[in-house]
Amino acid sequence: MSERMTRPQIPLEEGVITPGSTCQGCGAAMAARLTFKVMGPNVIRHGIPCCPDQSSKSPSTGSVFEGGGPCLTGTARALKALGRTDIKAIAFFGDGGTYDIGFGGLMSAAQRNENVFVVTKDNEAYMNTGGQHSGGSPKYAETTTDAVGPNSRGSPVHKINAAFAFAAMNIPYIATASVAFPEDLMAKVKYAKDIEGFRILLIQSPCPVGWRYDPAKTIEVARSGVQSGIWPLYEIENGSSFKLNYKPKELKPITEYLKPQARFRHMTETEVNEIQVYTTAKWEKYLKADELKQIVF
Amino acid sequence: MIEIRLHGRGGQGAVTASRIIAAAAFEDGRYSQAIPMYGTERRGAPLTAYVRIDNVRVRERELVHTPDYSICFDEFISMNQIIANSLKPGGVVLANTKFKAEELPLAGDIKIATVDATGIALKHLGRPITNTAILGAFAKICPEISMKGVEKAIYKYFPGRIGDMNIAAARASYEQVSELVPAINKEAPKEVVEIVSGGYGALKDVSGWRVFEPVVDEEKCIGCKNCWIYCPEAALEWTANNKPAMISRSCKGCGVCANECPVKAIEMKRVEVKKK
Repeated sequence: MSERMTRPQIPLEEGVITPGSTCQGCGAAMAARLTFKVMGPNVIRHGIPCCPDQSSKSPSTGSVFEGGGPCLTGTARALKALGRTDIKAIAFFGDGGTYDIGFGGLMSAAQRNENVFVVTKDNEAYMNTGGQHSGGSPKYAETTTDAVGPNSRGSPVHKINAAFAFAAMNIPYIATASVAFPEDLMAKVKYAKDIEGFRILLIQSPCPVGWRYDPAKTIEVARSGVQSGIWPLYEIENGSSFKLNYKPKELKPITEYLKPQARFRHMTETEVNEIQVYTTAKWEKYLKADELKQIVF
Repeated sequence: MIEIRLHGRGGQGAVTASRIIAAAAFEDGRYSQAIPMYGTERRGAPLTAYVRIDNVRVRERELVHTPDYSICFDEFISMNQIIANSLKPGGVVLANTKFKAEELPLAGDIKIATVDATGIALKHLGRPITNTAILGAFAKICPEISMKGVEKAIYKYFPGRIGDMNIAAARASYEQVSELVPAINKEAPKEVVEIVSGGYGALKDVSGWRVFEPVVDEEKCIGCKNCWIYCPEAALEWTANNKPAMISRSCKGCGVCANECPVKAIEMKRVEVKKK
């Protein structure tokens, strides 16, 4: 499990070239900046079609949506053949490339336990192309393909729990992080960097344009997501050991997370209650797993 | 046929404005067409949109190359010659700026009108979305469009309370727009940074993206590094005396730093546009 990091330990040097071409207050840009601060220069970055967050100073390569996993596998095996264990193959994908289109490729890379590190910036829809529904879209969120009207109430399904889907593959390391907790995020990147095998980090990165809130509130929204239990911060090692990194004494009501975002504006009280019950029930399970220090299947 | 070119930034509603103008002309019983031009534009990046209005059906489908009117939604782009380029002789430029029409560094056989649309938008909408705030001014200087049509079209796109706010902004700019003045300059000043791309990689400059910029009160600052670590663009440099300082070319003016400062030592102040 990752060790705690403090503010003075954060390196001053940047791993990305700023400014990028993201929107104002972009969560994904923050995620990229924090990740590559810790990763250092010896990485080969892989990308798939997604929002142009910060370009890193390390070499990078791009592929198609479905090609994320195979492309990473190729790089990792080539590095092994060359004997360059100091260079890491790292992916910086969006939620579409991890949760639905790219899922197959990544899943088989996980099954083969390739020596790659996948970082996902999860903004809960295909924001690059205008906010279409992805596997990461939460229930009742309005996207451009889940309209709100008499016959539709936004996204009809719950978000994919990708971390547990990968945990079922018994891979060495899985973690979730949020841009509102930079020390936690960077500690996890630092720990995952040197593990041998397939490891994945899911970062929730709010999108002011797609989630429709004031760009200044990016961190506020991300923080309330963690504090209300919508996006719990945890680590899973070898598919079983479990640790919850952030445990508030009491969860905040989810309205604090939903209210600033105009994509949830249409929700009725019953719908909010439904999400509250769903979130609390899940949180209880996480707490139990944390107590046992492992996931029981 | 009259052709209109709109210059704006993503998030200012230039594309919506092009649709509103086309809809307003349609409400007046004419044929119209709105064309947005997208690249990889995001919120904050410069973009253009086009409108055609005619008494007969508009058959053309290509971009507008020599417009009669050019409307600029952004204060920084208003200081740039690109908004006056390739206009028809005697063409009209409507710029969003605090300066008077005579003071703008634009050149050519053009007429200029100005209005402080950002100020109007901040007053009526509380946000620097300047599209409807400039449409009222356009209805005044352009005889082809009526204010009634613009109001109808705004209601069509923003029904209810938001529509009322936008119409108030449009009416205010209808009152405040300056007279049309011929351009005095014969030659345009040379550009230092190309406005459209703003440079690439390490040379990229986004200083024109922001409407508000962070001003640090070093007396109040406790040196917690919150603003520095939460800045998406690494636009706050950590100086030797343990205080943050803004890197002008990197800051996009999102306001995250001011929002996250625990002692409120950072204030977002409206950027003063200076003449070159």
